[in-house]
Amino acid sequence: MSAYGKVTPEIVEKFKEIAPGRVYVGEEINDDFTHDEMSIYGKAMPEAVVDAMTTEEVAAVVKICYENTIPVTARGAGTGLVGAAVPIAGGVVIGTTKMNKILEYDLNNFVVKIQPGVLLNDLAEDCVSRGLMYPPDPGEKFAAVGGNVATNAGGMRACKYGATRDYVRAMTVVLSNGDIAHFGSTVSKTSSGYSLVNLMIGSEGTLGIITELTLKVIPAPKEVISLVMPFEDLDSCISTVPLFKKNNLDPQALEFMERAIVEKSEKYVGKAVYPKNIDGVEAGAYLLVTFDGRDMDELEEIMEQASEIALENGAIDVIVADTPPKIKDVWAARSSFLEAIKAETNWKDGLELLDECDVVVPLDKIAPYVEYVYAVGKKMGLQVESFGHAGDGNLHIYVIGDDQISVEDFKAKADAFFDDIYPEATRVGGLVSGEHAIGSGKLKYLAEAEGERNMELMLGIKKVFDPKMILNPGKVCYKL
Amino acid sequence: MEILVCIKQVPDDSVNIKMNPATNAPDLDIATPIVNAFDTYALEMATRLKEAIGDSTITVVSVGPDKAKDAIKTCLAVGASKGYVVKADATDTISTADALAKAVAKIEEAEGVKFDIIFCGKESTDCASGQVGTMLAEDLDVPVVTNLVDIEKIDAGISAKQETEEGYNIIEVAMPCVVTVTKPEYEPRYPTIKSKMAARKIPIGELEIGDVVAPAVTVVANAEPPKKAAGVKINEETLEESMAMALGMMRDAKVL
Repeated sequence: MSAYGKVTPEIVEKFKEIAPGRVYVGEEINDDFTHDEMSIYGKAMPEAVVDAMTTEEVAAVVKICYENTIPVTARGAGTGLVGAAVPIAGGVVIGTTKMNKILEYDLNNFVVKIQPGVLLNDLAEDCVSRGLMYPPDPGEKFAAVGGNVATNAGGMRACKYGATRDYVRAMTVVLSNGDIAHFGSTVSKTSSGYSLVNLMIGSEGTLGIITELTLKVIPAPKEVISLVMPFEDLDSCISTVPLFKKNNLDPQALEFMERAIVEKSEKYVGKAVYPKNIDGVEAGAYLLVTFDGRDMDELEEIMEQASEIALENGAIDVIVADTPPKIKDVWAARSSFLEAIKAETNWKDGLELLDECDVVVPLDKIAPYVEYVYAVGKKMGLQVESFGHAGDGNLHIYVIGDDQISVEDFKAKADAFFDDIYPEATRVGGLVSGEHAIGSGKLKYLAEAEGERNMELMLGIKKVFDPKMILNPGKVCYKL
Repeated sequence: MEILVCIKQVPDDSVNIKMNPATNAPDLDIATPIVNAFDTYALEMATRLKEAIGDSTITVVSVGPDKAKDAIKTCLAVGASKGYVVKADATDTISTADALAKAVAKIEEAEGVKFDIIFCGKESTDCASGQVGTMLAEDLDVPVVTNLVDIEKIDAGISAKQETEEGYNIIEVAMPCVVTVTKPEYEPRYPTIKSKMAARKIPIGELEIGDVVAPAVTVVANAEPPKKAAGVKINEETLEESMAMALGMMRDAKVL
C-alpha cells in the first residue's frame, strides 16, 4: 500500500483557513475520536480533526489530503459497532456532527433533504411532527443519518419497510480528489446505468464522503399497536415468525428475545412490563410484534388474527400495548438491550470486554443457529447474550468477558468463538452483517464468506473511486 | 364490595404540545387521547383490591364527550366490568365533581347498588389541579384519603397507605369513602387479547346530567411557558478554576 503523508503544521494552517476554530490537533483531540462504541477492535488517534459545516469545506479538506496522500476518515456521531469511523491509518478525521440541518421537505415527491450529521432521532421527530414517517429506525437513535447511510443501517421496522438503502434517493458526495459529485435524483424509479447511489450506501466512507442526502419519507401510519407474545421456549417462539407473513399479515416490526435479557433490560430501565409467569406457566422467550394501520378497527382485526396464530402455535398468552405510553414501555425494554449489556461489562486497559456479531440467517434457521451459538459459547466458557430482528433473520450476538479475563485472552476467546459461528452462518445460507457493516472488525469474516474473487471485485471498485487509497484505509474490502 | 373508579381522558403527555397560533390554544391534535396516568394507577389499585378480597365489582365512570368511551373501553380490559360516560356541561373542577356526584347517585339507582369506595387519580396529567377527588368527597359527604400508594381491606373499612413528603401515613377510614391515588410501586397491567375481546362486548352506559353547578373558572387567555435561557458553559484550564468560576457566578446571582 502507498506510504501515507503526514499532517504537517503547514497543512494544519490550511485546514484552519478552511474551517476556522474547528480544527483540532494533538491534545485538543477528544478521546471520543479514537474509537466507536466497540472499543475492542482497537483505538487509533487521528493527526487532525476537522469539524466541517459545508460540502465545500469537506471538499477543500479532502483536496489537500489527496494532494498530500493523507488518509481521511469521515465520522458521524461515532455510534458504530465495527470500527468503521476509527482512523486506523491516522491522518484526518472529518466530523460531520455540525452538518446537522434538515434542509427542506418536498411533499410533492415525498422526500426530505438533510445534511449528513442530522441525528436519526431529530429526523424521526421532525417527520412525526409533520404527519410523516422516515421508516428506517436503527436501535441507536442518536446515530447520525449519514452514518446510517454509510453502513446501510436497518432497525426494527426493516421487517415491513426495508433498511436505510430503500430510503435514499439522492446524495451529494465529496470524491477522493475533492471533487463534488451528485448521485441519484428525487424520482422513485431508475434504470439509468450503474447505481452510484447504491454503491455509496453501505460503503462506510471508503468510496466518498456523503455531505448531503435526499431521503424518501412516507405518510405516517395513523394507528399502531404492539403485541407481546410469551412462549415457553425459544423454539416455539421462533417457529411462529414465518406464520404471520404466510397468513398475509405484514408486521412493521417483529423481534424475538429471551427471558434472561428481558429481565436484565427491565432492571436497567427500571420498569418491568413483560409477563414472566402466566397462570403458573413460566415464559422462556418472547415475540414483540408491532402492526400499523389506517384505523383501530383495521388493527383490532389484525390483532385478533395475529393472536390466534400465536396462541395456536404455543404462545402462553398475548398481551396488548394499545396506547402510546404502553407501546413506549414494551419497546423501551427491547431498545435498551445493548445499554443493559454495556452497563454490566468489564473494562481492562481502557477497552471494553465486549464483542458482537450481526449475522443474518434465513428465517427457518434462526432457532437452530441460536442454539448452536449458545452451545459454542458454553463450550468456550464465554458469556453469550443474543436477541434479534426475527422478522428478517438478523441476529445480534454478544460475547462478554468476565472480570478475571485479560484483554488478550478475551480477544483470543472471542476470535475463536467467531471463527466458529461465522462459517456456520454462511453454511446455513446467511451473511456476515445484517446492519452493523464491516469496518475493520468484521473484515476477516467478510473475506472468508465472500471468497477471493468477490473481494477482488470490491477492491477494484474501491480503486476506481479512490486510486490513492486515502478514504478510510483498511476498511470493508482490504486489510492495511 | 362495590368499587367506582373515576377516570379522565387526557392527551398523551409524552408528546411535546405546542400552541396553535391560529386558535391561540394548545394544539392537541397530535396527541393521542389516553386514560390519565394517575387514573390507570387508581384502576390497577382497585383491581388488586378486588382480587385480594374477591366478590367485588369495579365500575368506571368518566365525564366527557362520546370519545371518552374509548378510554372507558381500555379500562374494561384491565379490571373494570361496567362503564359509564357522563355528558355534562362541566369545564372546571367544581362542575366536574358535581357532575360525578350526581352520576354516582344515578348509577347506584340504575344498578341497585351502593358504592363502598370511589377511586380517583390524585390529579390529571393535563390540567393537574388535583381537586376533583376531594371535591367529590365533599359533595357526597363522605371521608377522603389522598395520595394513596397502597390500600387494604380491614374490618372497620379500609387501611390506606398515604405518601407524604417525609414518608407514609397509615390511615384507617370507614366506608363509604373516596380515595385519590398517586404512583404506586407497581405498573398498571396490560390487557390481554382475551380481556380486550371480552371488553368489546360490554355496553357502555350513557348518562346526561343537565343541572350541574356553573363552572367557577373561566379561561382568560392561553400562553406558552417562557423558554429557559441557555446555560453557560464553563471550560477553564483546570477543574479548580472551573469550580471557582461556577461558585463565583452562583455568588453573583445570589443563589449561594
